[in-house]
Amino acid sequence: MAAVSGPLRIRVDAKRYPAVADRAELPVLSRVDLSVEPGSFVVITGPSGCGKSTLLNIVAGLDDDYEGSVAFGSDSPRLSFMFQTPRLLPWRTVRQNIELVMPDDDPSNAQRIDDMLAAVGLSGQESQYPERLSLGMQRRAALARAFIVEPDILLMDEPFVSLDDPTAAALRDILMGLWDKRPTTVLFVTHDRGEAIMLGTRLIRVGGQPATVISDQQVSLSRKERGDREAVHRMQAELFAS
Amino acid sequence: MALPSEHTAPRVGPVKSSVSLLSNSQVVWSIASFIALILAWQLSAFLIDSTRFPGPLTVVDAMLRESASGDLFYHVGVTLARVTAAFFLAMLLGSAIGLALGRVRQADQFFDTWLIFFLNLPALVTIILCYVWFGLTEVAAILAVTVNKIPNVAVTVREGARSLSRDLQEMAHVYDFGWRKTLLNVTLPQLAPFFAAAARGGLALVWKIVLVVELLGRSDGVGHQLHIAFQLFDVPMILAYAVAFIIVVQLIELLILQPIDRRANRWRR
Repeated sequence: MAAVSGPLRIRVDAKRYPAVADRAELPVLSRVDLSVEPGSFVVITGPSGCGKSTLLNIVAGLDDDYEGSVAFGSDSPRLSFMFQTPRLLPWRTVRQNIELVMPDDDPSNAQRIDDMLAAVGLSGQESQYPERLSLGMQRRAALARAFIVEPDILLMDEPFVSLDDPTAAALRDILMGLWDKRPTTVLFVTHDRGEAIMLGTRLIRVGGQPATVISDQQVSLSRKERGDREAVHRMQAELFAS
Repeated sequence: MALPSEHTAPRVGPVKSSVSLLSNSQVVWSIASFIALILAWQLSAFLIDSTRFPGPLTVVDAMLRESASGDLFYHVGVTLARVTAAFFLAMLLGSAIGLALGRVRQADQFFDTWLIFFLNLPALVTIILCYVWFGLTEVAAILAVTVNKIPNVAVTVREGARSLSRDLQEMAHVYDFGWRKTLLNVTLPQLAPFFAAAARGGLALVWKIVLVVELLGRSDGVGHQLHIAFQLFDVPMILAYAVAFIIVVQLIELLILQPIDRRANRWRR
């Protein structure tokens, strides 16, 4: 496991979408400068379409058309990305989908997949094809895939959006369980303020056009308080007051 | 076609049974419709009462005669070999061209005119030109059929290559799949339906063109036999070879193409 030594440093001086046809050039991000300590759970929140996903794509290396730089704390950090849609390969079973992101022919793979499937509650579904599963189940598989690579940095782009409340809550519990067992740096994008408070140790709000960092605060809640609706609401009111 | 590594992929019960349920009633209908066709044929032959319109029994008789001498199997076999060679060549080259055009925009813009030209070039022209330029040889024959088929395959596969999912491509990139894993697990499965469509249409087109190629410049094969029968006005023999070849093509469809198709689609809901 490649240990991340230093902080993750994200600097985006400017990111624009080029002009298309009759639409003018669109500035998306500007003067975003973040330093993320290893092992912190950073929630990035802001209005829909403000550029949060773009920021994650830049960190993931999926978008290199921007001014700025991303510096990881170590040489070749392992990245995982849980996308807004599960993005599982529909022609591969749940098990194969997870196996594909693992190093080839490692004898410990099978056992690790079994353990991970149990952890996300998919033990009986491993040989199903993703499209035969509910969205909640597909998201469990995507979560398993994201954690099985033991990432140094885990990017999550509204991974629990468009689920009913109990399903989303169950998935958040699974996420916290996995994160407790294997803490890693998380960048979690959401526009759900309650979810932001329940999960994050640090809350970054972005907004404006082009979007930039509006506030950057610590979420000082204990694990127990995060399960308490009242405490979450109080913290939410406090942090989103400005 | 790359298939997934096989360790856990049991067929899912409900889907399988609904498929066999469907094909059960389908089988009954197919048999009924087949019998109706034969009866209609026999009836018309009886009413027309001409040696130029033989009934099914006369044709079966001709088939048996040709089989007994071994001619039928020989010529059908020769034709089938040409179909196979041209089919695989066209699929291979057409897929490569289609992939390139679907992925590289400049290439697509540049070669689109070429593709339209070859798509609209009459098969007969290609065949004549190949024979004129390369002589009445086996290579010229196969080449003519292949050139006829390549544009169709290319157009179909280009459509597939254009619609490759960017989402899955990004996923493969983030998780460091590398080109080989990406090709086998992300790209080819997305193209599978397009390959299947190209293969289906391809087979039907190729075997018809092969007959023309044989008629014009080969001394064996079903096309050549039809040519001789035409000169002798031997209608039972023409129909005997036609029916024999239809049977062979149907068998290929049933025993090879359909199982491949089912396998490639078993993940669908």
